[in-house]
Amino acid sequence: MNAFTAAFWMEALKVRRSKVSWGTSLAFLILPLVGGLFMIILKNPEQAQALGIISVKAQLVGGSADWPAFFDMLLQGMSIGGSIVFAFIVAWIFGREFSDHTIKELLAIPTSRGTIVGAKFALTALWLLALTVVIFVVGLGIGTAVHIPGWSSNLAWTTLGTMLLITVMLFMLMPLVALFASAGRGYLPPLGWAVATLVCANIVAVLGWGDWFPWAVPIMASGMAGPGTELLRLHSYVVVLLVFVLGLLATFFWWRTADQAQ
Amino acid sequence: MNFAIETTNLSKAFGSVQAVNGVNLRVRQGEIYGFLGLNGAGKTTTIRSLLGMIHPTTGTVKVMGQPVGPHGQGPWQQVGHMVETPTAYPELTVKENLEIARRLQGISDKSVTNRTIEQLKLTPYTNRRAGTLSTGNRQRLGLARALLHSPKLLILDEPTSGLDPAGVVEIREFLASLVREQSVTLFMSSHILTEVARLATRIGIIHEGCLIEELDAANLADLRSQQLEIKTRDLAAAHTVLAQAGFAVNANDVGLTLKETRAIDAPDAVATLLVNAGIPPTRLVVTHENLEDHFLRLTGGN
Repeated sequence: MNAFTAAFWMEALKVRRSKVSWGTSLAFLILPLVGGLFMIILKNPEQAQALGIISVKAQLVGGSADWPAFFDMLLQGMSIGGSIVFAFIVAWIFGREFSDHTIKELLAIPTSRGTIVGAKFALTALWLLALTVVIFVVGLGIGTAVHIPGWSSNLAWTTLGTMLLITVMLFMLMPLVALFASAGRGYLPPLGWAVATLVCANIVAVLGWGDWFPWAVPIMASGMAGPGTELLRLHSYVVVLLVFVLGLLATFFWWRTADQAQ
Repeated sequence: MNFAIETTNLSKAFGSVQAVNGVNLRVRQGEIYGFLGLNGAGKTTTIRSLLGMIHPTTGTVKVMGQPVGPHGQGPWQQVGHMVETPTAYPELTVKENLEIARRLQGISDKSVTNRTIEQLKLTPYTNRRAGTLSTGNRQRLGLARALLHSPKLLILDEPTSGLDPAGVVEIREFLASLVREQSVTLFMSSHILTEVARLATRIGIIHEGCLIEELDAANLADLRSQQLEIKTRDLAAAHTVLAQAGFAVNANDVGLTLKETRAIDAPDAVATLLVNAGIPPTRLVVTHENLEDHFLRLTGGN
């Protein structure tokens, strides 16, 4: 077993034994469940009227009870919820080593610090990917169960592709969260960072500069600010890539060089 | 000569605080080196520097003959360590925590984990989650992780902290047997001075970041100051007689004490003096300062 495999095995074991993996899955499953509920409400306006504000909200968000509207809800929910849930996952993977003081067991060992950080990012990528696939599959099941019209396999594939694109972009924004978790030695700094960037992303998107602001790009890709990926240009992907590279380099550098005095 | 630990002018400052200042350590292979210091003296900063967890402001660190690199590189497959309170992943079992350590150490022999669990008497807790262990068993788990890869050098910060008296004796004997039978070098800090005195073959005392004294077994015996303790039925009269004879007399809880060589070398002469004055001593004994007294005197602790 080489060093990377050993480090990845360690990270995977911690995730398997932790309640965090179940917690984040359940938190993310709210998306298709709420989407399905809105579809049911929109399909039955008489019952929806009896529900008052819920029907109004459903009308605002979903518009119509069909697969395109349902998928749009999933995508938009994922871009917003994902930036928080994914940040929570990264904050846990990196920040727990400091809050549990287990970091000192990962330093003076033959497995390099870079390998451990690499394994953490690899596991993060797989975790986010798995969550995305689960949400999509559960969404398909719920959409089928509530019998909404407008299905096409082409639409489903396009939605899956956009979901994966959003996930990849959100993942690329995560190294800076990892840096905040490491340098901040815990959970609060990365979560604070995630919330701050989400708020800024919404403001910047409303102001019309979202295509230049990395944290707004996944939100724009979801179609929340208009016709989805059509609003994005090459520079939007480049700024996300730059943040990814910067975050990775900074996190690796910090783990290799920072004093671990606590 | 290749030292197990060699620091040259090791210094570390955190902002304006000089945590370690010009420490030169030379720990020979096979030694048990006790590292003593008050809280905040610089023990843990020194230990973390030895393990590459902290980058020295100035100076160099060599471990097992190899330099500890600026990015934490070092001969870690030869070094086991336990720094401050031992930690473990609380949701994982004892065995899983040690399995992680085994794999990160690159040990392919899977039997090592169970063997180490047995060695540290953790067998009843093998499948218990680390978060539910008592302080003493967490300490054993930390030691197990430090020993898992059969290191040539063990760097332990307070290794018997949290153990019950029987556990302290057991771990002390276990560590001593490691040094005796496997030629392991042991560098340990402790605040339990009697433990260090029993185990260490050499002692270093750090105070305010500086290594102020190193003692080997012979030095320790030589440097211990001695005093003649005297008790009589009339301490005031004895005090007067001894003072008139030119002794510098200290009165304290045990009675009167004399620290001058002529008193320590010839207690019979002091006894004769008191008997002739009609104040025969009821107790007359030459006592040695113990390590604790010596340490406190050096560091100004109380």
